[in-house]
Amino acid sequence: MITTLSFYRLVLGCCASVLLMTAGCSRWIELMLEPESTQAPLTQTIARQEQVPLVLEGVQITRNGAPQNPSVEIEQRMLSILREIGLFARSSSAENAEPSNGKIIRARLLVDEALDPHPGAAAWKGIVIGASMFLLAPVLSLEYDYAAHLTLDLERWDGQVKRYETQSAGTAYYQLFGATPLLIDELKGHVTEYCLTALMRQVVHDTPFYTASSAPLSDNPIRSVSVKGRRPESSTVPISTSTTK
Amino acid sequence: MTRQSRRVIVFLLFITWTIPRLGWAEDPPGRLTFGTQEIGLTAGYLLPHRLTNRHTTKQSGPALMPSWAIVLTDPIGQSWYAGQILLGAEVVYIQFQRPELTHGVGFTPKIKYLFEGFHSVRPYVEFAGGPFYTDLAGRIPEESARFNFILTAGGGVSWFVTPRLALNAGYRFHHISNAGTRFPNLGLNSSLPFGGFSFYF
Repeated sequence: MITTLSFYRLVLGCCASVLLMTAGCSRWIELMLEPESTQAPLTQTIARQEQVPLVLEGVQITRNGAPQNPSVEIEQRMLSILREIGLFARSSSAENAEPSNGKIIRARLLVDEALDPHPGAAAWKGIVIGASMFLLAPVLSLEYDYAAHLTLDLERWDGQVKRYETQSAGTAYYQLFGATPLLIDELKGHVTEYCLTALMRQVVHDTPFYTASSAPLSDNPIRSVSVKGRRPESSTVPISTSTTK
Repeated sequence: MTRQSRRVIVFLLFITWTIPRLGWAEDPPGRLTFGTQEIGLTAGYLLPHRLTNRHTTKQSGPALMPSWAIVLTDPIGQSWYAGQILLGAEVVYIQFQRPELTHGVGFTPKIKYLFEGFHSVRPYVEFAGGPFYTDLAGRIPEESARFNFILTAGGGVSWFVTPRLALNAGYRFHHISNAGTRFPNLGLNSSLPFGGFSFYF
């Protein structure tokens, strides 16, 4: 009888432990999406001889206001989705573009990311979870916010520039043992995909603007040349100088 | 210095010089991302602190602390205090060699703040606490219960010899007492200079 009771306790204990560990590893993502009406499929047609090539000249990334190194991944993703919509004859990066004096669309993408890992909440919840000897790990969920604002400038061969903007955000909720870099990759992936799709919807909407017959190729083509002032949010910038005598 | 000690020092110097040259040179060392896990092994030697006249025991001995932690945030803050929060746990084993050969083992959840530091050198502070069982209690005037709690606070420096491997050195203050569950409960206080390594994945 005692042996049977001990066995049941052991089984119950094992089940509770498995349940605790499983619940402690859970994670989910919530995206802030626009109404479905703005995501409805959009179809336009373009004649093949009307298609012009597109060159992605650059991708700028800022994270929480600070400039970041360019990302090959997002550049490839942008080119991939541009190829998918089929509006342009070719889509390539500036490095791989064939020299052309003909009609061409130049693209520039700015990705402004905002990350918030909620460090204060993570610290306090971490202390509580630790103090409970991890028993509260399945109950207390932690959060990680990610928001992206994408701006796509498309410059036609005659110098006219169209700007497209979109933004999206999402929150990853996770239990302590579910914290993994993959979670953030998934969150960023969903948000970026949503933004790129929304951008492409806007571009496809302007299909007539990008047809070869939409504007003549000027003998004296115009390029828009600009430099944007990038000032840090703080007006004070640390500068160090060394004097050598 | 004995011949064996010299060999150990030469071996450690060789390892320290060699490991950074084995690869991973393209990644900046010490850059940890959210969700990165750390497993580590820390060893040190416990030195007694008799804080009052009633404390008489000079407990000392080696301590071994295997640990696990997870990075819960990306780098936060903009100034010298910029860093990352890690949450984890460690097992504490202490072999008390004085006043008697006895043992103690505990399990302590811990929270750690790893400063951004400079390049591959990252200072940190940590705090841990949890249950601790020792058979030293009952043989000394300060402690009567075998079931105790151990509280630890300290700091150290991690030197990332590769992006995945760090050598650690630092100092911890240990307090062991039974939270008033039995008397006497003066508690044992100790310093623990330590060294160790952490592996990140």
